[in-house]
Amino acid sequence: MDIAEGFRNHKEKIVNKWVEYALSTYISSGFFVKERDQFANPVGGNIREALNRLFPLLVGGADSREFIAPLEQIMSIRSVQEFSPSQAVAPLNAIKHITREVFASDKERKHLVQELYDFEFAVDLAMLAAFDIYMQFRERLYQVRIAEIRSGSHILTDSRCPSKLLPEDNKRL
Amino acid sequence: MAVPKLQQLSKSVVQGPSLATGAIPTRDWMDIPVVFKSGNYAYPAKKDKVEYLNKQSGLHFPNAREWSPEDEDWKLPEGWQEIILKGLKERLEKFRSLKIFMDCCVRCGACADKCHFFLGTGDPKNMPVLRAELLRSVYRNDFTLAGKILGKMAGAREMTVAVLKEWFMYSYQCTECRRCSVFCPYGIDTAEVTMMIRELLHLVGIGINWILEPASNSNRTGNHMGLQPHTFKDNVEFLVDDVENLTGVKPNISFNRKGAEILFITPSADVFAEPGLYTAMGYMILFEAIGLDYTWSTYASEGGNFGLFTNNETMKKLNAKMYAEAKRLGVKYIIGGECGHMWRVVHQYMDTMNGPADFLEIPKSPITGTVFDNAASTKMVHISEFTADLIKNSKIKLDKSRNSHVKATFHDSCNTSRAMGLLDEPRYILDHVVDWVEMPENTIREQTFCCGSGTGLNTDEIMELRMRAGLPRANAVKYVHEKHGVNMLSCVCAIDRATLTSLMNYWNPEVGVCGLSELVANAIVQEGETRGELDEGLRTML
Repeated sequence: MDIAEGFRNHKEKIVNKWVEYALSTYISSGFFVKERDQFANPVGGNIREALNRLFPLLVGGADSREFIAPLEQIMSIRSVQEFSPSQAVAPLNAIKHITREVFASDKERKHLVQELYDFEFAVDLAMLAAFDIYMQFRERLYQVRIAEIRSGSHILTDSRCPSKLLPEDNKRL
Repeated sequence: MAVPKLQQLSKSVVQGPSLATGAIPTRDWMDIPVVFKSGNYAYPAKKDKVEYLNKQSGLHFPNAREWSPEDEDWKLPEGWQEIILKGLKERLEKFRSLKIFMDCCVRCGACADKCHFFLGTGDPKNMPVLRAELLRSVYRNDFTLAGKILGKMAGAREMTVAVLKEWFMYSYQCTECRRCSVFCPYGIDTAEVTMMIRELLHLVGIGINWILEPASNSNRTGNHMGLQPHTFKDNVEFLVDDVENLTGVKPNISFNRKGAEILFITPSADVFAEPGLYTAMGYMILFEAIGLDYTWSTYASEGGNFGLFTNNETMKKLNAKMYAEAKRLGVKYIIGGECGHMWRVVHQYMDTMNGPADFLEIPKSPITGTVFDNAASTKMVHISEFTADLIKNSKIKLDKSRNSHVKATFHDSCNTSRAMGLLDEPRYILDHVVDWVEMPENTIREQTFCCGSGTGLNTDEIMELRMRAGLPRANAVKYVHEKHGVNMLSCVCAIDRATLTSLMNYWNPEVGVCGLSELVANAIVQEGETRGELDEGLRTML
């Protein structure tokens, strides 16, 4: 039995555990895991969908550039939530441990644990890409803030009465 | 071994002052203190703004001072607990709804997962039921027998500084959008609970600048921007020039004209900031096309009412100025532009605060003869109601192909959809002016998701909070963008036009934001026009 078959047999179990782990980083993880409507539960829905897309790419030796789309789906959300950078990306790493755990608990596939090197290397690449993507979204956030200030809405609070701009001398006229 | 490694990873992830505290909270919600840090709170109101408001007749904004939520000491006034409890007692007597909302919740949880702040943060205190519980726990402690006897067992707790800080944190993580109340079997309006918490906080001098400065500007010059009459007039006239350059037809406009048939009031953002500018140009083009006898006012130069986000006295005062101006000018009725909370105030509160406006006439369209009975008491017609009626009676000529650069979707603004039931008129208009698609069913109409930045939370220092609160809305837009190629999010609210722009810039940068009247004006065929090919409608750079 080879590693590819091992992944095929356990895909659902592994990905489900991964999704649950990623969502366990939220206080209200119960709801985020349970509610399957992606519009009623955007955090749970997007993370579930993205991890399901990412897993076959990690297993199948895909080019790491293909990781970007699903990683963006996850990191766009986690980079505006109250996580530190390491907390934001850490759930990705969990897949290594989950996979080992699942294989190790299956007597017939225990030996596959020794063959996880390529898979784990792909996870490392995904982790590194996730840091870049996290930063891209933080930068986008700052750009949005700057654009908003430039658009003039700041004048709501930071403006002064135009007459205040007049020199003191003119006011007496 | 693998298992311990995963546990170690969890441990490293969950440490630190973060929401990521692992699956199940180990402490009761009452025992988890709030932590203020840069980015999770809006800046407090400036001292001079609070002093100004406190000096106005009928308004009460005490305890003006410099303070920061990050400080241990919030410089509360002497006897602040008594002030809060007395304020709560007065409001329980004055507002029967508040008393009912405090008593009748059975904590069924129907509202719990309906709040965009909860969905974006996963923070249980953003469940509407728990947010209301922040106030209800104090109510139980001091105003119910069970609470007085059983204390914490009955869900009661004393009013402490920690409770006050929690109120500030979570009443400003609620946009009073009322999505939760749609799902409440008792019809509890949790927005009104938030409003009461904010009112109580103002009694001890706790408020945010992004609300109090526009409110004071509006009281002083008539609009949030603090624009004086000549500046307001200049801005509108710039837009007249732009319209003439684009279409070849110069709209006739007037200001403060006595004897005009209609007074037109819209949010001042429409005459000042993109993309609202194009919406304002849209109003002018529409009114010119039908030859409407209307006037702008440089005094009632604001539709929005930031008083709604502070206390009922300020809301009443700011609302009254629109009607005072209508009376002064002797108009027959008012047409209101694309605004959100102006309509909430007009439909839910105006009548009991300042109404009925008996000195005005029941609105009747001079073009179609349609009588707007729905506005019989407030005498104020929504621009979309007015426009839909014009289209229905074939009074304007529309060429949909002029919007061929747009694939639109429609965001129901919380206030117009849930507080006044304006659901079908905008859709009817869209059908006639542009190719458009709906977002998923559980994100539109009464179930619409808030932009995430309403009720005065559209300030840039809490941008992250706004982005996560706006995720449910942005997520639905993303879906129609990817599935149907939607490139424009249309709406009928000025705050939406500002905040959805930032929201889209973060979540869906390829989707723009526009007012409905902009799309109408893009499609209007006017007599005597000399417009060339406007590839981007009113946004075309000539």
